[in-house]
Amino acid sequence: MERGQLTASSNALTVSNLSVSYGRVAAVHDVSFKVAEGECVALVGPNGNGKSSIVMGIAGLVQRRGRVEIFGRVARAGDVAFMPRHGFTLVPERRQLYPQLSVADNVVLGCFSRTRSLRRAVTSAAHRQALELFPELADRMGQKAGTLSGGEQQMVAIARGLAADPRILAVDEPCLGLAEAVSRRVYEALARIHEAGRTLLIVEESPVRALQLATRQVEVRNGVVVRA
Amino acid sequence: MKLGNLIISGIVTGSIYASFAACVALWYRVSNILNLAVGDFAMIGALGVDNLVSVHHWRVAPAIVVILAAVALSAYLYDRIVLRLAQDGRTRQEGIVVTFFFTFALSFFIEGIAEVLYGTNVHAAPALWNGHSLSLGGGLHVDRAGVLIVAFAAVVGLATSVAMRRTMQGKAIQACGENFFGARIVGIDNRRYRRLLFIASALLACVFGILESPITGYTYNSGAAISLTGFIAAAYAGFQRPGKAVVAGLGIGVLEALLGGYVSANYADTILYAILAAAVLARPSAMGLDVVPE
Repeated sequence: MERGQLTASSNALTVSNLSVSYGRVAAVHDVSFKVAEGECVALVGPNGNGKSSIVMGIAGLVQRRGRVEIFGRVARAGDVAFMPRHGFTLVPERRQLYPQLSVADNVVLGCFSRTRSLRRAVTSAAHRQALELFPELADRMGQKAGTLSGGEQQMVAIARGLAADPRILAVDEPCLGLAEAVSRRVYEALARIHEAGRTLLIVEESPVRALQLATRQVEVRNGVVVRA
Repeated sequence: MKLGNLIISGIVTGSIYASFAACVALWYRVSNILNLAVGDFAMIGALGVDNLVSVHHWRVAPAIVVILAAVALSAYLYDRIVLRLAQDGRTRQEGIVVTFFFTFALSFFIEGIAEVLYGTNVHAAPALWNGHSLSLGGGLHVDRAGVLIVAFAAVVGLATSVAMRRTMQGKAIQACGENFFGARIVGIDNRRYRRLLFIASALLACVFGILESPITGYTYNSGAAISLTGFIAAAYAGFQRPGKAVVAGLGIGVLEALLGGYVSANYADTILYAILAAAVLARPSAMGLDVVPE
């Protein structure tokens, strides 16, 4: 099957009538879209229009209404472990690392959804591959994550996401606040992740960079999908 | 000989501080809430076991089991009813009110219940290891209850320190305290950890109360002073590392004993807190306080 081709049987992620609210403020209204396995989809739109709320709603990190299916399984709302355990990992906006913990600890915690054994986590192929993707981090493993540069922190966040061995990796604003050279490095890593066969969902304000990698875009405006 | 006995006495006292500091730091690590009711769980342990044994003529072992079960159930219910309401609602509450108020209120509540149930007299759970003080040679002595306290504090300190450093669960606990949202991203259920550690710290405090009360005796309002000692020692570990909190508690206990023995028994506490305050001013980062440049 050609990458990017969407069939009913190849859906990695199906989002149906997803709504997200923060108190009385509705951020996302009845959003529906599908992502096929192996696809790279860009979720684009201006800032403050609900893109991050959509991926956080999919990940189960905010209260949501609607239905989210991952590889045919209906996600349980309110269970934060469900999506990582079933192959969906989010690299969130602003990284959300553990600043006082070491880089090594940050990355290994990505394995939490797969194993409770630290030994099994550090010897797993997914953990090794996540670190191999960013050789820049090799000398920084003992350093506190909060002391790294923005680009290095983004690498740690992506490595943490990959350590979960996800089939779908969602990356929210991967280049936010990063210099152009670092952004290129981050996208180079995302391209390698995609080439390895993982499904990617990239959230970007600007579609230009995302569409260099993405095969399709889902455009969000005012909390509504205007193009899928 | 005097120095040796003072140090032994300080280690026993310090182990008590250390134990409650470990309980405070352990739960703060996962919840960012200071458990100011930890001493009240200790008090309930001591008074509850004493009541069942001396008033209702139970044997010691079943009395301890029943009180531990009651404390665990109470901690569970408090988490499910109060803390869940405070932290797990649509808008998660943070800040000074949540950090202090929710367990401070619990402390008053437990005190009130204890006063009604056990009165205002001094009580102590039966000593678990009876007999004269143990002689260590060279004129050095230690109470048997003191040996139990030091041993239990060492086990708790070592176990929590190793668990934090060497296990995935320990790292997950640290992640919860570092970044609530970041922990949930990797599938860590912060709420479950908060509940489990609240119950665990209540049980640990309860056991320490049972062990310690034969030495000091407890009343219904002893909990606040115990919580304060734990709070101070935990503060020296920046409320972050239970293992470091244990070391801080031991240090404070030994320093207090030496000041009492060599400087002034009456002013030992005053001088101790002056030294602790000076140490904070000299090295604020040790308490996890950020130094903001002008």
